[in-house]
Amino acid sequence: MRKILLTFLGATLVFSMGAAVASSQKSELRIGISQEFENLNPLIMSMSATTYIYSMVGRALVTLDANGKWIPMLAKSIPSIENGGAKLSADKKKLTVVWELREDAKWNDGTPLTCEDLAFTHEVALHPNVAIGEREIYRNIDKIEWDKKNPKRCTFVYNKPRWDFNQMGSFRPLPKHLESPIFLKTKNEVGGYEKNTLYVKNPTQKGLYNGPYQITEVVLGSHVTLEPNPHFTGKAPSIQKITIKLIPNTATLEANLRSNTIDMISPLGLSFDQAIMFSKKAQTEGLPYVTLFRPSLVYEHIDLNLDNPILKEKNVRKALIYAINREELVKALFEGKQTVAIHNIAPLDPWFTDDPKKITLYPYNKKLAERLLDEAGWSLGKDKYRYKNGQKLSLTFMTTAGNKTREMVQTMLQEQWKAVGIEVTIKNEPARVLFGDTTKKRQFTGMVMYAWVSVPENSPRSTLSCDAIPSEKNGWSGQNYPGYCNPEVDKIVEQLDREFDAQKRIQLAHKLLKYYTEDAFVIPLYYRADVAVIPKRLKGYDLTGHMYSETNFVENWRLE
Amino acid sequence: MLRYIFFRLLQTVVVIVALSFFCYLLLNLMPGDPVEILIQSNPKMTPEDIQRLRELYGLDRSIWEKYSAWIGDILKGDLGYSRTYRVPVSEILLPRLGNTFILSLSALLLSLFIAIPLGILAALRVNTKVDYLIGLFSFGGISTPSFWLGLMLIIIFGVQLKWFPASGTYSIENPDNWLGRIPYLVLPTLTLSYLSVGRFIRFTRSSMLEALKNDYIRTAIAKGLPRTKVIWKHAFRNALLSLITMVTLSFSGVFSGATITETVFAYQGVGKLVYDSILGNDFNVAMVSFMISVSMVLLFSLIADLLYSLADPRIRLH
Repeated sequence: MRKILLTFLGATLVFSMGAAVASSQKSELRIGISQEFENLNPLIMSMSATTYIYSMVGRALVTLDANGKWIPMLAKSIPSIENGGAKLSADKKKLTVVWELREDAKWNDGTPLTCEDLAFTHEVALHPNVAIGEREIYRNIDKIEWDKKNPKRCTFVYNKPRWDFNQMGSFRPLPKHLESPIFLKTKNEVGGYEKNTLYVKNPTQKGLYNGPYQITEVVLGSHVTLEPNPHFTGKAPSIQKITIKLIPNTATLEANLRSNTIDMISPLGLSFDQAIMFSKKAQTEGLPYVTLFRPSLVYEHIDLNLDNPILKEKNVRKALIYAINREELVKALFEGKQTVAIHNIAPLDPWFTDDPKKITLYPYNKKLAERLLDEAGWSLGKDKYRYKNGQKLSLTFMTTAGNKTREMVQTMLQEQWKAVGIEVTIKNEPARVLFGDTTKKRQFTGMVMYAWVSVPENSPRSTLSCDAIPSEKNGWSGQNYPGYCNPEVDKIVEQLDREFDAQKRIQLAHKLLKYYTEDAFVIPLYYRADVAVIPKRLKGYDLTGHMYSETNFVENWRLE
Repeated sequence: MLRYIFFRLLQTVVVIVALSFFCYLLLNLMPGDPVEILIQSNPKMTPEDIQRLRELYGLDRSIWEKYSAWIGDILKGDLGYSRTYRVPVSEILLPRLGNTFILSLSALLLSLFIAIPLGILAALRVNTKVDYLIGLFSFGGISTPSFWLGLMLIIIFGVQLKWFPASGTYSIENPDNWLGRIPYLVLPTLTLSYLSVGRFIRFTRSSMLEALKNDYIRTAIAKGLPRTKVIWKHAFRNALLSLITMVTLSFSGVFSGATITETVFAYQGVGKLVYDSILGNDFNVAMVSFMISVSMVLLFSLIADLLYSLADPRIRLH
């Protein structure tokens, strides 16, 4: 028996050491992520991790770079009204946009990428039996035309022009020569195309990808391996193999890094507090890793339910903001690596402003908070809480249960509100319940803390307009959870969607921000930061801080 | 006997159908739907997109309509489509069931291999230092949280000693090498085994103690039978009856997965998949996994009943 055990242990050790040796090649990068990914069909995918992976193997017409600037990817240049690439009719009812594709843009089987692929993608996206998430960019395009002699020059025709016509960061083409027969065969069945697309049936098929890398293996729930695409004619990637490995437990990501199972942790890995802790340990122990922090467009905030009679009073809402020391909060909890939010637009966005003449700022001012509450008729009782007509100034405060960072924020804020006489009761729910019913059906009675993921110059229609207040009447659609309704704001949102002049849009956005900050129906907390842990020898890697991830620039990464 | 098996199988089918509806109902009572998850991650989703997807997924239909469609597909052999992974359920679930089976079976066999001899030893040395030591070991297993044990094993054997990989199911470089899977199985198997070994030891010990108290044991010893024969043929055989229930029901869990252990070791098992599918409202995956788990419990209960009659000839099944 002893012999058998020793033989088993010996064989096991040999196999495991062999695995370690095999995976330590210099030109290989193994990236750890903690979020699940789905099939890599660029039209169907909806998970952040899938987009992260897909951006290494496929490109969109354009993308946002790390400076928040739109740059062409599959397109030669970005058409605009200013450069003549787009033409708006005199009555502003028709728009034609010419997208010139890169001459060398090809699929990874060598087939040229042409307007036919774009038109096919448009057709699939609009088919009622295909379940794609965001369809607006396709719905806005009426048709895509091209001259057969020049299949790289595509004309997009719009009958309801919008100013953001050239922000095609989500327009990722499908290869018509491979996917068209499948689509034609399955389009009459609901979900037929999704089930039978080659991205599901044979994801390593040559011709499905057009980026610097191509897929060599996909195991859902485990890993994806990539190698350079020989038909990619842009900058040749220097890393010869990339493996993206799913490690669902963030607590074990660090152990996997230290045991050399992975080389780096992507922004879809560690939580912020884990990254801060690892950063300190890496410095103390002299580990060969760098922890990167990058302010992002993710906006952490507290929605106030305006149906609550207490919160109907603007002075009370303002007092709630003045009473909290957000500077101290970000220093204490995030070591200043996440910055205080002043409204819903992050500094990375061209619409951002911190000009006190344009918006209302709320620096910490306990005395002012107390004065505002006094003015609103809420006076201090013997128990140090405030009362008005016998009613206690008491609010419930909800967030996602089990989120350590948010729970720490709640505790700090609860103390600060208590100091001005406001009783705050914490009532947390699992994310599933909080976002499933509580926010969607506006069942929170006081305050709810969560985050919005945004993109630069994002239309605030779904969060600010009166129509976007979820109700039974509108099928609980819209994300205006506070229930804020201001006809002036609605008017500006309408104008904003139709304004083609970038400078005028900025002015309109600032007008909106004035209402947003002055009416104080949301308490801005902080702009979150993206975090990643990379090996010191990895160069050319820049976090972007927005939904178009750094993997769009994977060909710039190199291992030294 | 055959008649008994036939009726039990029929009963099993009825129970599965009834439970499937009950579970489908419970899943539908959960707040939110898969579209909610899309809204959270994509700021460009419009209310029209949300409404369109709900209609396309059939989320706006009544529970009866949804259940009838689902059960109809199952009867036709179509396990459905995973809305989370965007692939047919069979493609994501079947490989994971295989992985879970290997892990759970290894852990179960290892824990039985350790627990039965230790349980018998504890019963034979009752109230001695050996018994107390074994008791300490088994209570350690019962009370140790799996995530903590898993992390400790990773830190010791994965990070410090680098003997075994810290996570994964197999070598990505060489996925078809079945022997190469062994290092990936060691740490999760040890974690799962230690958690169940304590329970099995305590159960074996108490069953053996019960059996050793019987008059026929005293008679067997008095008539001079060898000690090993008394222990294995007379005491253990009788202790086996209660052990059969526990062991066969434990076998029924080999397809259910161990969510925490699988998550800690990034092992591609079914436990984590089911957990995620429930949270993500991925009904098809959750329901199929549930059906497999229920079927296994019912099937192994039947096997337990059949084994009783083999272990004890006095029991006859009708």
